[in-house]
Amino acid sequence: MMLEAREITFSFGQTVALRGATVIVYPGEILAVMGPSGSGKSTLLHCLAGILVPDRGEISFAGQRLDTLDEGARSALRRDRFGFVFQFGQLVPELTAQENVALPLLLGGTSRSAAMGEAAAWFSRLGLDGLERRRSGELSGGEAQRVALARGLVSRPEVLFADEPTGALDSLAGEQVMELLTATARERNATVVLVTHEPRVAAYADREVIVRDGRVTSAVSVAL
Amino acid sequence: MIPLALRLTVAGGREALTRLVAIVLAVAIGVALLLATLAGINAVNAQNARYAWLETGFTPESRTARQGVDPLWWQVTGDTYDGKTIARVDLAATGSHAPIPPGIAHLPGPGEFYTSPAMSALLRRTPTAQLGDRYVGRQVGTIANSALPAPDSLVIVVGRTVADLSRIGLAERVTAISTTVPSSCSDCPAAIGINANGITLVLSVVALAILFPVLILIATATRLAATRREQRFAAMRLVGATPRQVSLISAVEAATATVAGIALGFPLFFAIRAPLAGIPFTGAPFFPSDLSLTLLDVLIVAIGLPVAAASAAWIALRRVQISPLGVTRRVTPRPPRAYRLIPLVAGILQLAYFTVVGPPETTGGQTIAYVAGFGLILVGLICAGPWLTMTGARVAARRARWPAALLAGRRLADNPQAGFRAISGLVLALFVTSVSVGVITTLVAAAGPSSGAATSGTMVNYFWRDSAGQLVSSVPSVPTSTITNLNAIDGVTGVTVIYQKPAVRPDQAGPDGLVLCAQLTQTPAIGRCSPGATVAAIDSKFGNGFGRRSTFDQAVWPSAPITPEALAALPVHVLVVSTNGSTAAVETVRTELENAFPRRFPPDTLSSISPDSNRLLAGYKQLADVVILVSLPIAGCSLAVAVAAGLTERKRPFSVLRLTGVPVAMLRRVVALETVVPLVLTATVSIAVGFLAAQLFLHAQLDQTLVAPGPQYYVIVAVGLVAALAILGSTLPMLSRITGPEAVRFD
Amino acid sequence: MTVPLTLLSLLERQPSHGYDLKRDYDTYFGRGKPLPFGQVYATLARLARDGKVLAADTEPGGGPDRKRYVITGEGVTEVAAWLAEAVPPEPHLQSVFFVKVVLALMSGRSAEHYLDIQRTAHLQRMRELTELKRTGSIVDALLADYGLFHLEADLRWIELTTSRLDALAKELAS
Repeated sequence: MMLEAREITFSFGQTVALRGATVIVYPGEILAVMGPSGSGKSTLLHCLAGILVPDRGEISFAGQRLDTLDEGARSALRRDRFGFVFQFGQLVPELTAQENVALPLLLGGTSRSAAMGEAAAWFSRLGLDGLERRRSGELSGGEAQRVALARGLVSRPEVLFADEPTGALDSLAGEQVMELLTATARERNATVVLVTHEPRVAAYADREVIVRDGRVTSAVSVAL
Repeated sequence: MIPLALRLTVAGGREALTRLVAIVLAVAIGVALLLATLAGINAVNAQNARYAWLETGFTPESRTARQGVDPLWWQVTGDTYDGKTIARVDLAATGSHAPIPPGIAHLPGPGEFYTSPAMSALLRRTPTAQLGDRYVGRQVGTIANSALPAPDSLVIVVGRTVADLSRIGLAERVTAISTTVPSSCSDCPAAIGINANGITLVLSVVALAILFPVLILIATATRLAATRREQRFAAMRLVGATPRQVSLISAVEAATATVAGIALGFPLFFAIRAPLAGIPFTGAPFFPSDLSLTLLDVLIVAIGLPVAAASAAWIALRRVQISPLGVTRRVTPRPPRAYRLIPLVAGILQLAYFTVVGPPETTGGQTIAYVAGFGLILVGLICAGPWLTMTGARVAARRARWPAALLAGRRLADNPQAGFRAISGLVLALFVTSVSVGVITTLVAAAGPSSGAATSGTMVNYFWRDSAGQLVSSVPSVPTSTITNLNAIDGVTGVTVIYQKPAVRPDQAGPDGLVLCAQLTQTPAIGRCSPGATVAAIDSKFGNGFGRRSTFDQAVWPSAPITPEALAALPVHVLVVSTNGSTAAVETVRTELENAFPRRFPPDTLSSISPDSNRLLAGYKQLADVVILVSLPIAGCSLAVAVAAGLTERKRPFSVLRLTGVPVAMLRRVVALETVVPLVLTATVSIAVGFLAAQLFLHAQLDQTLVAPGPQYYVIVAVGLVAALAILGSTLPMLSRITGPEAVRFD
Repeated sequence: MTVPLTLLSLLERQPSHGYDLKRDYDTYFGRGKPLPFGQVYATLARLARDGKVLAADTEPGGGPDRKRYVITGEGVTEVAAWLAEAVPPEPHLQSVFFVKVVLALMSGRSAEHYLDIQRTAHLQRMRELTELKRTGSIVDALLADYGLFHLEADLRWIELTTSRLDALAKELAS
C-alpha cells in the first residue's frame, strides 16, 4: 500500500476531529475522501500528509512510519515526495507564479536556474502561457489553482494531496482543474488523495471513502 | 536559500515594503542613540584625561625627583567669576629644564600669563577691577585645545617668581606634569576633573531609558503585516519548508533591515554629534571631536547588531512554530498570569532594599545596583502590562453598560498582549519621565532657591584652618588698608571681622567666633546681636552646612563676655563683606580679597554652593530634558505604528460586524476604548511606579525625600496623552473605509 | 411493479386486513392517487397464490375483505432481498427509493445502510459518466453532464435524509 492510517485519533483542544479512523490508499489510485463538513476529512488528509501528528494511531507511507518522524523530516517529505493543491491561501503572495511553482525545488536546494526551468515547462502544459511573472493577486481563481497544481506536481511527487481544489471555482474552471489534475496524475502514476464534499468532483476518483463523525466507512460492495 | 530570502524581503509588495521602511527607520534611530551613548562614554574619558595636568602637584608621579629636570614650583587654585569656575595655575621655574604644561610652548615668566580662548574673551570684556587685577602681568599666548577640558573652559597659567610662590605657601615642587586621570587619583581634590564613574552611572541609566522605547518601536514595526507574513510562512511550510528554513528567512529579513538601519544610523549620529556635544552633563560641554567612536565601538554596532537582530528573529520564530495550515484557525492566546507582576515587584523591592541597607560602596557597585533595579522595573512594566490590561478589561466588561464597552472589554480581555503592545512605548516613556522629573525636581529643591540679594551679595572669606585638631588662622591679622580698600569699593555696604573664639575645636558645633556688635550691624545678612550686647558669639558656619537654605539674617547672636579690646587681640576667623549684590561689586570684592589673601579656593557668597555642582545640576537637568524629549516622541511613533498595524488586524472581524448591522460609530468607540482603557490604567501605574522608584533612589543614594514636581511636568504628561489620543483619533475615520464590504471577500 | 412488494413489506410489520393495508398505502404512498380496492385484493390473492402470504378467514364464509393476511417466511425473504438491492440509478427514482427508505424504517431496519448502498451505486454511475465525458464527443459530454447533475441532486437528498433519519424514525413509530 502507499499510505495507511490506522486507528487515528486527533483532537483540536476540546473538539475531537478523528476517532479511530482507518483508511488505506493504494499505489496509483485516486481516492476520494467524502463526508459532510465537520466530519474530519480535512484533518484525515492533514494526518496522512504529515502536516498534523495524530494523538493516537499510526500513519505509514511506503511501509515506513510517518507520524514518528520529526518536523524537519516530515517537511522534507512534503517537499520532495508529496504535492499539495488546497482550496485557497497557498501561494506566496510576494513571489511570481513561476517562482511559486519553483518553490519546492528551491527549498530542496536545486539551483535557481534549474528550478525555474522545471517550473516554466508546466506553464504551457496547464494552459498558463504568459502568466509566469504575474503575482498571485493578479491571477483568476482558475489560473491560481492551476499554478498551485503545477507547484504540486513540479517535484514529481509520489502522492498528490488535494483538499477541495475546486471549492472556490465555478463549474467550468473546476472541471478544467479536475481534468488536468487526474490526467497528469495518471500520466505519472501518482497516487491522489482528494478531499471533497461534492459528488461530481469525487466522480473523478477511482474509489471513495466516507468520513462521518471522525470515522471512516468504506464503499460497500453493490449488487446492481 | 539566502537569495530566496532576500527576494522575499525586498520584493514583497507595498505592505511589506512599508514594514521594512518602518523597521529601518526605527533601527536607525536606535543605532544613532547607541552610538551617541558609546561616544558619550568615550568623550567623558577624553575630557577627564584633559584634566590630568591640573592634578600636577597632588600626584606622587609629579613630585618624585628626576635626573636632569629643574623642578617647577606649581600652585593650582580655584577661582570663580559670576558663577563660572576658573582654573588658575601659578608657576615659577627654577631652571631652564623645567617641565612645561600642555597647550603652551614656553613657560610664562613673571609678569606673563597664558589664557584659554574663553578666558581671553572674558578678560577683554570685564573691567579689570573685577577680574583682570587678580592676574599680574600681560597675556603672551593662548592655551591650545589639547589642554582644555571643554571649549568654554576658563584656564589661566600665570608666571610668578619663586619668592612670590614661597611667600604664599600653597605651591608644590614638581618635576613632571601629571598624567593621572582624576578618577584614578586618590589624593586629588574632588573639585578638579569629573567623577567619571558617576557619569557612567548616569549615562548607563539614560541609555537604558532611551533604548527601551526604541526597542519597543522596532518590535512594533516588526509586527506590521504580521498576518500576511504568517500566511506566507504557512504556505511555504505546506510545500515543505522546514521550520529552520523559515527561521532562516526571518533572520535574513531582520539582518537586512538592521544593516540598512545601521547604514542610516551612522550618518544620523554624525548629524547630531555637534548639538550633543553642547550638552554639559559632566558640568562642561565637550569638543565635538571628543564624541568619537573607537574601532571596537564601530565593529560592535556594525557587526554585532545585525547578528543580534538575526538571532532574535531566529529564536522568536523557533518558539512560534508556524503551522502549514496557516491562520485559518485563530487560536486564542493564553491569558497572562499574575506571576507577570514579579519582575516589577522585584525591581521595586530591590530599590527598597538599598534604602534600608544603604547603597553599595563603590560607584561601580552603585552603577550595577541602580541599573539593575531600574532595568528590572522597565522590564517589569512590559511584563505586567498585559496582565494589568486583562484585569482592567475584565472589570470593565463586567460592569459595562454600553455595547461598545462590552465589546472592547471582551476583546481586550481575550488578547491583552495586542492591546498593551500599542501603548507599551508610551508607558515606558511616562515611567522614565516621572523618574527623571522626580529626581531633578528634588535635587533642585534641595539645592535651595535662588537666594535673595542679601545672601547672594554677602562675601565670606575664611581664615581658619584645621591644624592637627586645633584651629589656627592663616593670617595674623587683617590689615587696615584691606578694610579701607574694601569699604572704598562701589557697592560695598559693610565689612565685619569675626575673631576666633578661644579654645574652640574645629568640629565643634555651636558658635565658634566672636564679633563686635557695632560692626555686625554693617552686615545684617549674617544676623544681629541680641539687644544690649557689645560683643556677640557667632557661628561662622551660619546655620547647618554651607549653601543650604537658612535664615542667616534672622539669627540673633547671644552676647559674649569679652571686651572689644580683648577681641582685637584674638586671631581672625572670618571676614564678611556685604554688598549690594551686583556682579561688579561682588567680583571686585573677590579680586581684592584674592589679592590680599591668596587661598586654594576663592572667597564666595553665602548663597553659593560650589559652582561646580550647580553646573552639574544644570547639566543633569538638560540631560533629563533630552531623555524626555526623545523618549516621548519615539513612544508616539510606536503608538502610531501599532495603531496602524492594529487597524489591519481588525479589518476582517470588524467588517463582518458591520455587515451584521453594527454601526461604524460604535466600532470607532470600540477601537478608541481598546486603546484608551489600557493606556489610562497602565499609565497611572507607570507614573506611580516612576515616582516610587525616584523616591527610593533619592532616599538610598542621597538621603532626600521626593518633592512634588512643578506644573511643567503635568503639562508634559497631558500633552503626551493628548498627542496619543490625537494619533488614535486620526486613524478612526479610516475605519469606515477599511471595513467596507469588499474586506469580507475571501481570497 | 412495486405495489405487490410494498404491500408485502407492509404485511411484514404485522398481519392485517386488506382494508388496513390499503389505508396504510394510501396514507404513506398514495399522495392523491388512492389504490383501488380491486387492485389490493387482486394483488393479495396473487401473493397468496405465490406462497408469500397466507390468507386466514376471520369469519367463516367471508369475502376477501374479511380475510386477514399474514406474511410467510418466503414473503419475508423476498422483502429482505428486494430492500437489499439497489435500484438502477435513473432520474425520478425518488418514488421508488423514497418508498424503500420509509419502508425500511417502518420495518425497523437500518435505513442508513440502504442509503450507503444507494450512494455507492450512484457514485459508480457518476464515475462511468465522468469517464464518458473524457473519452466521448462533446455531445456525449453534454448528456453525461445532464445525468451527473441529476445524480448529484439525488445524492444531496440522500445526504440530507441521512441526517434526518432519527427524526423520521421517531415520527413513523408514533
